[in-house]
Amino acid sequence: MTDSTKHEESLTIGKTSATERDANSSDKFNFWLAPDQIVNPFDIVEVEHLGEARDSEGKPTGKPSRSYGLVTTIEHKTDSPNHLANFVSSNFGDVTETNINTPRVGTNVAKVNILSNNGEIYMPVQNDRPVLFASPDGIAEALGIDTMAEKDRIPAGLIKMSNGASTVAYLDQEFMLGPEGAHINISGISGLATKTSFAMFMLQSVLQKAEKTTGEDGSPLSDKIAIIVLNVKQGDLLQIDQPGDPPNVDQMEMWEAMGMEPRPFKNVRYLLPRSNSPGLPNSFLEPLSGYQMYAYALSDAADKLDFLLSDISDQSGAMDALVGDIMQGILNREASFKNCSSWENLLNGEPLVKNGKTEKWGDHYASTIGKFRRHLRRIVKTRTTGLFTNSRARNELNLADQIREIEGGHVYAIDIARLNDEEQKLVFGDVLRTVYELKAEDPENRVSKKPVPEKVIFFVDELNKYAPAGVRGSPILEQVLDIAERGRSLGVILFSAQQFMSAVHSRVTGNCATKILGRTGASEIGSPDYRFLDDDLKMNLTRLGKGELIATHAVYRQPVKIVFPRPAYKQRQPGT
Amino acid sequence: MRSPLPFLAPALELIGKNATVLPSSGGAFEDMARPDIEEADDRFFGSASDAKQGFKDFAETPTPNWRELYRPTPAIFRTDKHVFRYFCDGSIKTYFLGTIIEGDRSYPLELTQIGAAIVHRKDDGRLEVARFERRILLLVPFTGGSGISESLLNELRKHQRPDFRVIDVAMPDPLSERRQDPRDKAGAKARYEMHMLEQQLIEEFAPSRGADEWTIIDGGIRKGEFIELPRTVGVAKSFDRTPTFTLRKGNRGTMRKDISGVLMGLKYAHRTAAFFAHGGRVAFWYVRLRAQGEVDYPLMGVVKVEIPTPETGEPIQADLADHLSSALVGERNVTPHGLDKRWHAHLYPIFQAERVIKTNFFSESVLLASIRWPKPDAGI
Repeated sequence: MTDSTKHEESLTIGKTSATERDANSSDKFNFWLAPDQIVNPFDIVEVEHLGEARDSEGKPTGKPSRSYGLVTTIEHKTDSPNHLANFVSSNFGDVTETNINTPRVGTNVAKVNILSNNGEIYMPVQNDRPVLFASPDGIAEALGIDTMAEKDRIPAGLIKMSNGASTVAYLDQEFMLGPEGAHINISGISGLATKTSFAMFMLQSVLQKAEKTTGEDGSPLSDKIAIIVLNVKQGDLLQIDQPGDPPNVDQMEMWEAMGMEPRPFKNVRYLLPRSNSPGLPNSFLEPLSGYQMYAYALSDAADKLDFLLSDISDQSGAMDALVGDIMQGILNREASFKNCSSWENLLNGEPLVKNGKTEKWGDHYASTIGKFRRHLRRIVKTRTTGLFTNSRARNELNLADQIREIEGGHVYAIDIARLNDEEQKLVFGDVLRTVYELKAEDPENRVSKKPVPEKVIFFVDELNKYAPAGVRGSPILEQVLDIAERGRSLGVILFSAQQFMSAVHSRVTGNCATKILGRTGASEIGSPDYRFLDDDLKMNLTRLGKGELIATHAVYRQPVKIVFPRPAYKQRQPGT
Repeated sequence: MRSPLPFLAPALELIGKNATVLPSSGGAFEDMARPDIEEADDRFFGSASDAKQGFKDFAETPTPNWRELYRPTPAIFRTDKHVFRYFCDGSIKTYFLGTIIEGDRSYPLELTQIGAAIVHRKDDGRLEVARFERRILLLVPFTGGSGISESLLNELRKHQRPDFRVIDVAMPDPLSERRQDPRDKAGAKARYEMHMLEQQLIEEFAPSRGADEWTIIDGGIRKGEFIELPRTVGVAKSFDRTPTFTLRKGNRGTMRKDISGVLMGLKYAHRTAAFFAHGGRVAFWYVRLRAQGEVDYPLMGVVKVEIPTPETGEPIQADLADHLSSALVGERNVTPHGLDKRWHAHLYPIFQAERVIKTNFFSESVLLASIRWPKPDAGI
């Protein structure tokens, strides 16, 4: 017996098992486990197979090939043909009967989905082959990480196995930031799913990796990446440049294992919405490192009225036509809008109102105009949080102008947490459209002489608000779809999150090359959006702990379970 | 993949070339054993005088009172005292291959897989295989001159190897000699060979047991010959239902009871008094493992225990019979209910020993694929 054989025997956790009824196939195999051996779903195992392994250049290595597989579920099987036999075997249902001379013969059987074979051999795994936990190199080979160029490997967390071993789960930059694929979508219930934390960790990971990589001009790639994050909840993302509590030993080990430093974001600009109180932002907290306020006068929002009124019921399309004509009228400074320079003018002045009454204007009925006025008044006057103003003060900025001047190496945190739904949609649509135009068209309105960042990464939570499933023709949805479908070639990357993937338009999630799933309810995983997951794996989503996620990535052949460290920026709210 | 039975083809080719073969349909079919075959074996292994006169002598000391035939034997579990450590069973699968015609004689040709296994129960109750043997037997009648020719038999025997033997069915043995039908006789011979294999395994294995480790062998203590090993008992889940018992009522004559009458009064976790059998070489008694209300029929849930006596005619200690019976009652859980119709009297480790053997038998598909008779034009 060779040393390697002895070593393999000592690591063997079970043997493959093919039966008449439960055969091994090219896609799946089973193995029984040695008594007391523990494995869990998402563990990656390896087994020696037929044929010869090949190296990365496809040349035979002279060693037997190995198949890698992902444990999907584990069953305990006994020879009891039915529950009645077990009842009888407890002395006819005597629950106090605990003395069992010979425990019933049983074994744990793990079901495994094939990940890959390093000899490209997809014959079924044969019976009675020793099964081992995959080594870190084996995991990389199994997932396809070994095929990623070193410069493209972006750490996304650690894969931890039941035997205590762990390895870094890398995402391929080519499939995360384009051009091969792009976008990350994160789903999971609030609180436990750690969606925002993971998104921010990934942004940090992208930046740290880019810092270490230089472009053709010799400058770090991080200078060519800009990040825009929308803060939608409390002050979560309004302190991302402030250091948090030092990581504990476990957390530090995770950071180190991934070759990263636990640190807050650098070069962060905070953009907070104007409030109804003069000079004060409408935010849960004011960032320590300073901020700027943004607001919308009519001229700032004239080309985005479609976003503002996107939720209004409009089955006949009359409202859509009216909004379009009003936008054109203001933007083209048509004669009828010459006196229309503020929200007040638009609501109560010509051309929509004459002599204090709503009038028919062009082809638009008075009733449609009345509806427009009622909704707009509600949004910009009676129910506004202060975002809209008839004329911006000097310290109140036009958000689109700020975004148009976006610079690589900077992070833009835009607070929308206290805005109402219509206002949030306006801001989201405004930023998205501005970035898209900047990247897709000639940036003629850009003042800065600095180059437009090669990549603009956009993070937004609650994506279902902006790109809901089952909606057609919404201006915001169209904008999101544009980014989702064409962003990878333009360098506009969407990191998005929501509680329920089923609530988001399938063309958005479908275009995300990386999907991350946190803990999810049983009813949600029954929806068709999760059919890319093996049935055996789905129920694991309901059991994920805090900080545990399932990652599917274009390069990975099967989903993997990952853990990641807590963000290193300040997360506690003042006073909590 | 090559046949795992490489010896079979040359043997069959030899027969095919030297005799006329009327193959069974499909190449071979399994000869099913009769459901009461173990009962019959118990009867045939028993002595003729016992069967005729009934059992009358108590085989334990102190001698029981005729009024107190039953003794309580509350369960002793493994966790209290781990008495039985080894469990031995044999199993058999017989196939009828066809009828052979040589000259004016015709005889059946049967193929049998026999196996025996000993499983060891570890301290935590889990089982492991201690010994296992499997053999393939080709069964032909020879002795008496009404079967295979001597020359063909001698040629066949040249193909024998440790795991493949050619057996003369007509050679007398306790199980087959009283059978008349040739295939019935072949089946009994195969079972006899299986018992011999069991005996061989037990005797080879016995010296490696610990000082207080007991072995249970499935069925009676008499296999080919009597197994007279220390700390070894035979436990039969199926046994002869015909014997009678003649009990001496002090000075008031005798009372005769049949086995049903004896077992009907046997309560759960009790044993009967021990009786001598086989001319005093064996002591046996019955133990009830399951309450009568739990099973369909009063005689279910009872096992027959056999143990060799210290010397012929010397009774065993009643305390020992009590102790062994209590340990047997402790074996009541778990059961192969739903897997074996004899579950009520089956000991689970014995069931597993049987399973070890059966799962190591060649499957019918493999066996059929290995049976290739020469083409008629080439052979006859």
